[in-house]
Amino acid sequence: MLLIISPLLCIFASLFIGRYPLSIDEVIRILWCKMAQLPCEVLDIKQTIVWDIRLPRAILGALVGGCLAISGAAFQGLFRNPLVSSGILGVSSGAGFGAALAIVMFSSVSSATYIFAFAFGTLAVFLSYIIGRVYDTTPTIMLVLGGVIVSSVFSALISLLKYVADPYQQLPAIVFWLMGSLATARYSDIVAAGLPMLVGIAGLLAIRWRINVLSMGDKEAHTLGVNLAVDKGLVIISATLATAAAVSVSGIIGWVGLVIPHICRMLVGNDNRVLIPASLSMGACFLILVDDLGRIITGSEMPLGILTALVGGPFFVWLLKKTKGGNW
Amino acid sequence: MSLLQVIEAGFGYEKQEIFRKLNFQVKKGEVFCLLGPNGCGKTTLLDCILGVRQLNAGKILLNGQDLNTFRSGQIARHIAYVPQSHERTFPYTVMDIVKMGRAAYTGRFSAPSKLDKAIAKEALEMVGLFHLRHRPYTQLSGGEAQLVMVARALAQKTPMIIMDEPTAHLDFKHELEVLETIVELVGDSQISVIMATHFPNHAFYFENKKLPTRVALMHDHNFLELGQPSEVIAEESMKTLYGVNTRLISCATGERSELKQLVPISTIS
Repeated sequence: MLLIISPLLCIFASLFIGRYPLSIDEVIRILWCKMAQLPCEVLDIKQTIVWDIRLPRAILGALVGGCLAISGAAFQGLFRNPLVSSGILGVSSGAGFGAALAIVMFSSVSSATYIFAFAFGTLAVFLSYIIGRVYDTTPTIMLVLGGVIVSSVFSALISLLKYVADPYQQLPAIVFWLMGSLATARYSDIVAAGLPMLVGIAGLLAIRWRINVLSMGDKEAHTLGVNLAVDKGLVIISATLATAAAVSVSGIIGWVGLVIPHICRMLVGNDNRVLIPASLSMGACFLILVDDLGRIITGSEMPLGILTALVGGPFFVWLLKKTKGGNW
Repeated sequence: MSLLQVIEAGFGYEKQEIFRKLNFQVKKGEVFCLLGPNGCGKTTLLDCILGVRQLNAGKILLNGQDLNTFRSGQIARHIAYVPQSHERTFPYTVMDIVKMGRAAYTGRFSAPSKLDKAIAKEALEMVGLFHLRHRPYTQLSGGEAQLVMVARALAQKTPMIIMDEPTAHLDFKHELEVLETIVELVGDSQISVIMATHFPNHAFYFENKKLPTRVALMHDHNFLELGQPSEVIAEESMKTLYGVNTRLISCATGERSELKQLVPISTIS
């Protein structure tokens, strides 16, 4: 229950946060009349701020944060390694390359950027999987190696694109995109990226107990009766859909996919039946709150990728000290 | 009918042959010990029976049916596995680990039911670790953790359990505890156990407990000998198998019961 309510509360709270002050009464009236499709007596500008700027941004933040955290938690289990994050199979670097390529080709950020980012993000994971395939199985260690190789190749390609990009228009666009932001969130983004994100989330939620069994390692999981190819494949596909879609609308936001699952491990334990939904919820809350912070601490927007680490780092240290590492 | 039949089984990697033309069967309620030096292929043979690897030649029949026709979920309802050493990554609770034994009976998109929980609880009670059920299994001692693995295998409710050196790394007492648990399983529940071990005396222990016990000595890609412990484990065969001079002694452990023990004397250089 708490897991569902807290992201909703965060979304609601973030409607008040920003440079333009609004009262509770006004926000509720705007939400009510927009949803009931009644004429509003509140100022037009206030309506736009709440309904067309802050609300889509908060919803997208929740989706992106939730996706990154839930995929990170799933991959940590699958790869039996608590240091793994959602980008382990190269999805972030692939998406970054796709976005940079689109920016160089079309000279600005456009809808092609999203499509390219999503396509190359999934392509990167597919390549990692192909590289990791030996005979007819995919040992976990080979998958990780595949991910490392693919990530570094795509990182090099990103650098190459930065090098050849026009330094006045394209280069800043690439750099800003890579730092991650929700500032341009619109409902159309939510609709376009929402479907793969929700499919991915639903897949991971459905298969979450199996991730426990998969985290016993290939041989033991097999002898416990798991069809490795199918179950591993489902986890990878779901996590990839969620992460690639998230990265393609928000840019590269590090840290969430690594640390939120960890924080949840300390709070709710390691059983993926609880951990997976908890990561989803906590990731959503975390990103909404960080995004709120990003738009109030400085006059201009602070890129999200910077803030997640600056806020998350000290918080993580505090929690580590408090729980004494939580059984690690 | 035998629970497990291995017929003319052969396995090898590209350039290296591991074993060939192995024949044996395991009956209900029997202990089958695999003895042999390091690297002789005990684990590989067990992997083939578990369906982790495929034989190059021959076949394995489970309940009279070819193992290749089974899916991993079906094999897991016939054979459970206790690993040699289990790498503990995440601090799952003991109960969470034992519940994983129910994976073969649980749908891909569901979690263990109440019934599964009850079965897991029963399995934990059987190995005497129910009081530790809420503890993270990363905090247990090596012996306790191994008993948790045995409990997980029990939760699979299989007629057969394969154990790969289940007493490796265990101290004096914990080793005996694992052996005693096996005696209970085979004696009371009529489960069959296939066990790879480095200690010939384990086979004597089971024989002394009046369990139907057979030993296979794995040597030079094949079985050197196969039979009851007192027939097979002898000073001569140990010389061939391990290159070790041994002395077979016997000590009284009660009225009309005596435990044979093999004492290593020296290596043959």
